[in-house]
Amino acid sequence: MHTIRKFFLKRQPVFITIIAVALAFIVVGFILAATGRNPFNAVYYFVRGAFGNVVNTSDTISRVIPLTIAGIAFLIGAQCAVFNVGIEGQLLLGAMASAVVGYIVKLPFYIHLPLMLLAGALAGGLYGLVPAWLKTKRGVNEILSTIMLNYPATYFTHFLVLKVIPIVGVVPATPFIEDTARLPILIEGTQLHAGVFVMILVVIFAYFLLYKTSLGYEMRAVGYNKTAARFHGIPVEKRMNFAFFLSGAMAGLAGAVEVAGVHYRFLDQFSPGYGYDSITVALVGLLNPFGVIISATLFGALKTGILEMSVYSGIPRQLTTLINGIVVLCVAAKDILGGWYARIFRGKDTYEAEKEISQ
Amino acid sequence: MNWSDTLQSIFTVTLLASTIRVSISILLAGMGEMITERSGVLNIGVEGTMLMGALAAALGSYFTGSPWLGLLAAGLVGMLVGLLFSFIAISLRSNQSITGLAIYLLCVGLSGYLLQIIFEHGGNSPMVNTLPSLHMTFLENVPVLDPIFNDQPIIAIPVLLIPVFLQIVFYKTPWGSWLRAAGENPKALAVVGKNPVKIRYVATLCGSFLAGIGGAYLSISQTSLFSENMVAGRGFIALSAVIFGGVRPGGVFLACIFFGFMDALQKTLQTVIPDTMMPRELFMALPYLLTLLALAGFIKKSGGPADIGNPYLKESR
Repeated sequence: MHTIRKFFLKRQPVFITIIAVALAFIVVGFILAATGRNPFNAVYYFVRGAFGNVVNTSDTISRVIPLTIAGIAFLIGAQCAVFNVGIEGQLLLGAMASAVVGYIVKLPFYIHLPLMLLAGALAGGLYGLVPAWLKTKRGVNEILSTIMLNYPATYFTHFLVLKVIPIVGVVPATPFIEDTARLPILIEGTQLHAGVFVMILVVIFAYFLLYKTSLGYEMRAVGYNKTAARFHGIPVEKRMNFAFFLSGAMAGLAGAVEVAGVHYRFLDQFSPGYGYDSITVALVGLLNPFGVIISATLFGALKTGILEMSVYSGIPRQLTTLINGIVVLCVAAKDILGGWYARIFRGKDTYEAEKEISQ
Repeated sequence: MNWSDTLQSIFTVTLLASTIRVSISILLAGMGEMITERSGVLNIGVEGTMLMGALAAALGSYFTGSPWLGLLAAGLVGMLVGLLFSFIAISLRSNQSITGLAIYLLCVGLSGYLLQIIFEHGGNSPMVNTLPSLHMTFLENVPVLDPIFNDQPIIAIPVLLIPVFLQIVFYKTPWGSWLRAAGENPKALAVVGKNPVKIRYVATLCGSFLAGIGGAYLSISQTSLFSENMVAGRGFIALSAVIFGGVRPGGVFLACIFFGFMDALQKTLQTVIPDTMMPRELFMALPYLLTLLALAGFIKKSGGPADIGNPYLKESR
């Protein structure tokens, strides 16, 4: 009994998050039922759409790639007290910059691909410095500034594809990038591309930076308690600026990987809200680089599953955003679950006693 | 066309009239958010509340045929969203910013989802009845005031008076001092026997009511239908206006009018300046960039309440 308790208590944050996400999906089920849709039917088509065959499964994985990288982008910011909600805009600019580098020059593969990915990261990172300046120099709430910066980024890329870059086909897009700038497809006939390796590198990089370097330690210290960090001589503003830049850069990289691995050009409105999903992905992943992969898998499956679901069971695709909102809401409110959880696994008497002491 | 002609065709009384017309929704949401923030609660989900209000108004007007019932529905639905926010951010003491963000996402998703479920065709609701506009006969012969204030939407005039009303409530009544105390120092307020949690709830619900009405204005007065994501960042602009205006009625009023003016100017410029000279997309980005510029240039660090964003813990002895 004791070891079981210990097991559950040690992993309290993990289990509470799982319970919160489960609760969120129950709420979604009720919403579906209340609007006359069969939730069990929905689950069936969802699973079939996400994992039903090789093509669907590989599509799911190919969506996990941008979601994970964008999730890491949000995580790096959030670990340093920076809530970067502008990932969508940074991702668009990154995708645009990489697409331009991808089609405008002709270089050998080993130079071209890294260069175009770097261009994407740089564009996103530089755009991330705008809210950084607003926050650390002018005291503007970064949620507000980053969310508003998404609009100019959208209009700007829209403007570029419509009016600056010559349109080749019928859809508003940049010309196709050179073969040397493309991430190779891993399984023929599917969308699964070598961006998987970029994703793994990004996750390892984030883990290494945050948990194995003094820079990452200082960033996390800022995230825990700014005042305490300042007293320890950590340059809080500098670390936050760096977090903004790196977060934006990761977002830009996510866009660049989408261009290099899936679309091979900047397609207007190509992002199905990856930037907003990244918030959910990072929060559900407990702001842990490896947790992000797991939650990105869940939300990647959601993104592909919802397509088949909307075709066969008449459930609007807007359900994804709704699910995002409910999941974030449940995760935000999970502290109340913590109280109940501790009561159950600590035993009522111990729990009361400890509560008494802590006061 | 020379420059003075161009300027004359831009700066007309019509521009001022349309400034009022586009300011109303920002003003409603901004005034609401100001009440909420004064009590120490930061509700980033205003944009979402407005969206749900806009949808509720369109649905109310569509199914009952009466835009007034639509307006009422918008206010009530706004309060419902506010109640959900309050429960999680105030009662459960979750992070207010993240809760607000979640509310925003939830409302974007829910309004889009319900629109599809109810009307089953993409993007827009059918046309609905709209609120009338107000014609004041006594203004007919007054030169400048007539084109600016006459034939404005019927809720324009009352909305323009809200700041005056709030100025009186905030600084001349006991409710106002309780509200401000809840935002500055809730513990001190608790000592004199008032419940800060209750005051924060009431303030958030009032704010959400106004945000819902602000959304309704978009769907049943400025236009006559609900379309997906139609609030288009006005909620965030309203949030900026509250900060820009120092969380005070007069300041927030001026900030809202300023942002409204920028939006009206941007729309006028689009029609006057040819697309080849200055593309439409860049004009559309202008309100957001100007809002951020305004925040960067004029923000006062001591403007807002001291205890904003912090949950109130009753049992801290």
